[in-house]
Amino acid sequence: MNIKILLRYAEEVLDKPILAEVIRKTSAEINILHAEINARKGEILIGVEGPPEEIEKIIKLFEEKGVEAEKLEHVVTLDSDVCMDCGACISLCPTGALSIAGDYSVKLDEDKCILCEVCVPACPVRAIKVKRP
Amino acid sequence: MGTSKSYEEINQKIRDGDVVVVTAEEIVELVREKGEGKVAKEVDVVTTGTFGAMCSSGAWLNFGHADPPIKMQRIWLNDVEAYTGVAAVDAYIGATQLSETRGMEYGGGHVIEDLLRGKEVELRATAYGTDCYPRREIETTITIHDINQAVLCNPRNAYQRYMAATNSRDETIYTYMGTLLPSYGNVTFSGAGVLSPLHKDPNYETIGVGTRIFLGGAQGYITWEGTQHNPTKALGTIMVTGDLKEMNPRYLRGCTIHRYGTSLYVGLGIPIPILNERVAQTVAASEDQIKTQLLDYGVPRRDRPVLRNVTYAELRSGKVEVKGKEVPVSPLSSFKISREIAEKLKKWIGEGKFFLSPPVELLSRDTIFKPMKQVTGAPLVKDVMTKPAITASPDDRISSAAKLLAERAFNHLPIVDKQGRLLGIVTSWDLAVALGTGKRKLSEIMTKKVITAAEDEPVDAAARKLEQHNISGLPVINADRVVRGIITSEDISKLIGRRV
Repeated sequence: MNIKILLRYAEEVLDKPILAEVIRKTSAEINILHAEINARKGEILIGVEGPPEEIEKIIKLFEEKGVEAEKLEHVVTLDSDVCMDCGACISLCPTGALSIAGDYSVKLDEDKCILCEVCVPACPVRAIKVKRP
Repeated sequence: MGTSKSYEEINQKIRDGDVVVVTAEEIVELVREKGEGKVAKEVDVVTTGTFGAMCSSGAWLNFGHADPPIKMQRIWLNDVEAYTGVAAVDAYIGATQLSETRGMEYGGGHVIEDLLRGKEVELRATAYGTDCYPRREIETTITIHDINQAVLCNPRNAYQRYMAATNSRDETIYTYMGTLLPSYGNVTFSGAGVLSPLHKDPNYETIGVGTRIFLGGAQGYITWEGTQHNPTKALGTIMVTGDLKEMNPRYLRGCTIHRYGTSLYVGLGIPIPILNERVAQTVAASEDQIKTQLLDYGVPRRDRPVLRNVTYAELRSGKVEVKGKEVPVSPLSSFKISREIAEKLKKWIGEGKFFLSPPVELLSRDTIFKPMKQVTGAPLVKDVMTKPAITASPDDRISSAAKLLAERAFNHLPIVDKQGRLLGIVTSWDLAVALGTGKRKLSEIMTKKVITAAEDEPVDAAARKLEQHNISGLPVINADRVVRGIITSEDISKLIGRRV
């Protein structure tokens, strides 16, 4: 199972190595997709690969340490009514989340997406949307 | 001697309901199995299809007369200007014209799609006023149902094949072939390959003026050879016309090509009558027999360097080898919708809804596509650069460089190794900032990622780099990165002075 989790750090915990602590305490694979930290707060978007119970454990660990952890679903969408299946996006996708299926339609695998958003403006008809919380 | 069929015979079969139609994809396997002799006997029509961005597209619209009447001098549809230099209330909306308020997000292609979808479009026009057309301006809204003619009229569609694109530069570029990643990071291509209408009759034995075709979901016609028709290079094109009011927005889509502009995706299919064995043979070309060239779009010249030859089969596989590296490929034309068009045309013919029209005249096989005549040569970087450029070594002292720049009154100092190869650059601004910091050597303050120019690059391309990166000078280097000179905004300003 691959899931994206948005971590929100409050000012009080900004200087603590919480992510490192959580990584040490779990067997799941954690990948940092995006991070933004300023003087008041921090946000880290992580991709987590592991069994569901391990993912729940990770969320609990973060929350215990004062970091809000929100599971994100359907952050990226491909509107198949708008998509023309041209494939302009395919070669720009660094992870293979966008691919051409056997019937030559364009497919999006949300799990593989790391939200780099390179495809978003490259789509000639704006069929790919990313909604960050 | 072999099979020979006439258009009338085929149309009679369509009327009788016993015409045999296959798509250009299906015919490949059939000919492989049975040979063109047998196939020419058995198959009557092969249908093709393509769905891709075709920038040379647009529509003629006639709005009817207002009261009091106006002879439109300029007109905008949803803030996109259309051409109205013909009579009073006719206008041509071109696919690549950009919105004056929304820029590249919306253009003529989108106006055409919105009209087709029955949406309301804002019309605004101005005029100088005459005794017979006194009105000076008008603002109204229209839909496709409110206007008289709406005729899709595309000067250049359905390129027989097209060059594939990649990018040698160390920066992403945004082209009409889509977003091209740095250092040959991806490849893009256009065209429907095995389904490509003109490539399925490459000798133009059946295609010409008057050929009835599938256009945007309706029946349209080829009206002439396309502009830039280039048959001797297997780059034929066609000019096409059809009634926009009958079309289907699934096969006509306005689009934005990121940081390039707007365009129109056009769905087009041509039926190819199997008149004889020769036509049966050429129509059966498979994707590994359809070749094109991979060009370096990183070079902003008319003749871009050819990196290699490539087949549509390789392009379709999703990976192509460029400079020893496997590179991901993007098609820009939809093969899925191209196939759908070929199937739809096959169905129309099979159901007796579409008849073949013999061309009044076949497409030209010897038109030459000429480059533009230019009375003044476009200057190259080597024509205006300062040479030799004064350079320094990374171990030189900051203070002596500051003295040099002040004495000689220039601002850009390329830093080179012993062989003269570019290592970095130091500007007078860098020197001013470095003063009093305790730093001593140029290597401590030089910028290592240098934007450069090549000697054979057009000055316009160098000017664009200066503007995009907000800098005022580019070291000019050769293929070995040896500094040959420097081009600055001052050099370019002098050039403009010379032009005037």
